[in-house]
Amino acid sequence: MSFKSYDKQTFIIDTANAYTQRKISKRDFLSKMGMAGIGMSAFATGVLGGARPFRGNMAHAAENNTPEDVAKFLKEAGKSFAGTTIRYTSEATPPTVVLDTLKAEFTELTGINVEIEIVPLEQVLAKATQDVQGQLGTYDIYYLDQAWTSTFSRDTIDPVQYYKDKPDLAMPGFDFDDFSKPLVEGICEYDNKWVGLPFDIPIFTLMYRKDLLEKHGIAVPKTYDDFTAAAQMITAAEKENGIFGTGCQAKSGHYSLECDWTQAVWGHGGSIFGADKKFSGNDAEGVAGLQWYQEMLRNSPPNSVASTWDGQWQMGASGQIALCQSWAEFFPGWNADDSKVKGLWEMAHPLQGPHSLRGRGDVGFGEIPNWGHQGGSSIALSKYSKNADAAWLFLQWACSKDIMTRCTLAGGFAPMRNSSYTDPRIVERKNRVGGGTTRHLDTVRWTIDNVMASEPDLPIWAGVANNEIPTELGKLVTGQDYNGDAKACMDQIAKLVDAKVEEAELI
Amino acid sequence: MRDPDSRAGNKLIRLPRWLTSEHPFPWLFPASAMLIVFGLYPVLYSLWLSMFKRNPATRIETFRPSWNWSKVFADDRVIDAVSVTLTYTFIALTIQLVLGLGIALLLDSDRKGFGLLRSLMILPLVVPPAVTGMMFLLMYDGSFGVISHMLYGLGLLSPSTPILAGGTSALWGVIIADVWQWTPFMVLIMLAGLRALPKDPFEAAAIDGATDMQAFFRLTLPMMSKIIALAVLIRGIDLFRIYDYIKVMTDSGPGTATETLTAYAGTIYFKNADFPYASTVALFTLILVVIIANLFIKIFKVRF
Repeated sequence: MSFKSYDKQTFIIDTANAYTQRKISKRDFLSKMGMAGIGMSAFATGVLGGARPFRGNMAHAAENNTPEDVAKFLKEAGKSFAGTTIRYTSEATPPTVVLDTLKAEFTELTGINVEIEIVPLEQVLAKATQDVQGQLGTYDIYYLDQAWTSTFSRDTIDPVQYYKDKPDLAMPGFDFDDFSKPLVEGICEYDNKWVGLPFDIPIFTLMYRKDLLEKHGIAVPKTYDDFTAAAQMITAAEKENGIFGTGCQAKSGHYSLECDWTQAVWGHGGSIFGADKKFSGNDAEGVAGLQWYQEMLRNSPPNSVASTWDGQWQMGASGQIALCQSWAEFFPGWNADDSKVKGLWEMAHPLQGPHSLRGRGDVGFGEIPNWGHQGGSSIALSKYSKNADAAWLFLQWACSKDIMTRCTLAGGFAPMRNSSYTDPRIVERKNRVGGGTTRHLDTVRWTIDNVMASEPDLPIWAGVANNEIPTELGKLVTGQDYNGDAKACMDQIAKLVDAKVEEAELI
Repeated sequence: MRDPDSRAGNKLIRLPRWLTSEHPFPWLFPASAMLIVFGLYPVLYSLWLSMFKRNPATRIETFRPSWNWSKVFADDRVIDAVSVTLTYTFIALTIQLVLGLGIALLLDSDRKGFGLLRSLMILPLVVPPAVTGMMFLLMYDGSFGVISHMLYGLGLLSPSTPILAGGTSALWGVIIADVWQWTPFMVLIMLAGLRALPKDPFEAAAIDGATDMQAFFRLTLPMMSKIIALAVLIRGIDLFRIYDYIKVMTDSGPGTATETLTAYAGTIYFKNADFPYASTVALFTLILVVIIANLFIKIFKVRF
């Protein structure tokens, strides 16, 4: 009998009763309780590693359209690796979730098995960190958030070079030049090396509820000032109905809060680092950005300070918020069939001005201040992999034109390849409302090509962006410390970050 | 165990004496090996690691024995974490002890149905702590959490202050999850102790006209003192190294309001990749646990 059936018959209670009535031995009791524990653990895995926050937006993946020459190549090249199992761990981002459903096609062609561990972002970082520290090769492929690119750059194989070095394993028509240039620069290039291949591009754009804006006679905000006025007006008018002007991802200690803060600073003419490589978030522009963010929190659902991107997505899908400058990847889900506000969300260019952006010459560590914060990621071949060639075949397949286009069709997120935008299957869905819509992609592409911002590249950034900065910001936004004083909070962060940079001998 | 004079084929094989069943070695070896591999080696390795200064940028580690230890005592977050850990341990332990003993007294009966109740009590124990954390996280959610809505309805909580976003309320939120899961453990220990108490003193007290309260304070509690001390010691050590609930529910926040020592060590390890410093904080935690546990054993004269 399966565990599920046992469970239905109150397995645990029966077992405990049987033991107390001495019908089963202690050994049997422990073994059965262990079985129950495994069942619960499986539940936990499901809960913790689910496809959040983009659940409900997955349309069926389009039909397999792999070119014949590519299929033939995979069959031939995969022969010598049949039976090999390759592993990689990733966050539940849309491309990963879609890829997980498509990977059987790769296995069918090559005989190579693929195990994808889907876990929360913090755990992806933890697993990758452990793997590179011990040079274990547990994972053949790393999922790398853009904030970690420099941290892991020495642990990966440059795919461009590998493509040249291994002509017998080079996929025909792979075409590196087809990848969006700003994405390559912003996500996976470090020190003149491709650390991985671009895989995902969540990027900040403006999203708004057209019904609410029309109801209150508000024009689509173009600047931060417009946005502030609109958010305040809607909160004042709709708060009693449970609707707020905007919503934030301000969970203390979480990277999501750091992302919100970064955009607020850039949007007010500030930067994270100055040209002298000192933290500059505590200058006048930086403090103004944080004060603006504090004001936005006053116009957000209270749960914003306990929410990551998951919570922010929920706010949008449940109709709690009217405006949001956040990840464009939310859009298909907010318009999906199970959204309470299906078809009411629209997308516009990210907010610009009235402040000027800080120039790239005035900032440090390769930071790119701009209007659209990107949180992209790449997938990279581990230098410590014991199955590097098999993993390389998978990597090429996963980032090939057809698979990337199909990922976009299924998940609705922005493609990495220029050719995907003009693919007839993508173009055809531009008028669709609901799962698999592509009507937002023109705005996303414009943002990527014109106003994409990137966080600084320094090897300790993963730690600083995930620990020191969001922890101190969390103290401020939840009133744990600083008594609401943005400048005091920024000064403390400056002290901590500068000490870290100095300790790492980067200055 | 083979006999020392056992035969293989026609040859007589004589095992060395230390491999025979008369010698303690074969009996002690498996447990000792386990202890060395899973207990001693990690501690010694952590100690070794703690003597290095790591540059997270270059990943170069240089031998600086005092570097991390100086850092521990100068780190405000360590001091805060000690305070949070002690507060968390004290509050959770007190609640679990009082509830555990109270429930055990209620369940200490041979009447029909009590066996089932005792079985039901252990249900929370089979749920992995991470799942418990997740469950409570959802129930506390300010937008759709059942506990939050109940508290809003009763006027005990304002919708403008989500449970896990306030420093004090977040700590209480995590403690409640811990209490839900681990009070049954206390109940089981107390129940075992209560069931093992001799009946004669209670019968004599009843003949002498002692009330239930007098019997509890003058007989039950003194006779249970060793069991209680043991339970406090076991749960106290466990609570001191709390990690799962904090990680899942608050990730040490808001700010550092729920950051315990182990949670901070985890943050340094997994987020900052400063393995030597994380090891030092973990060792510091171990030292604190050993000191506090031994003080407890000495003060309360716990004998095993």
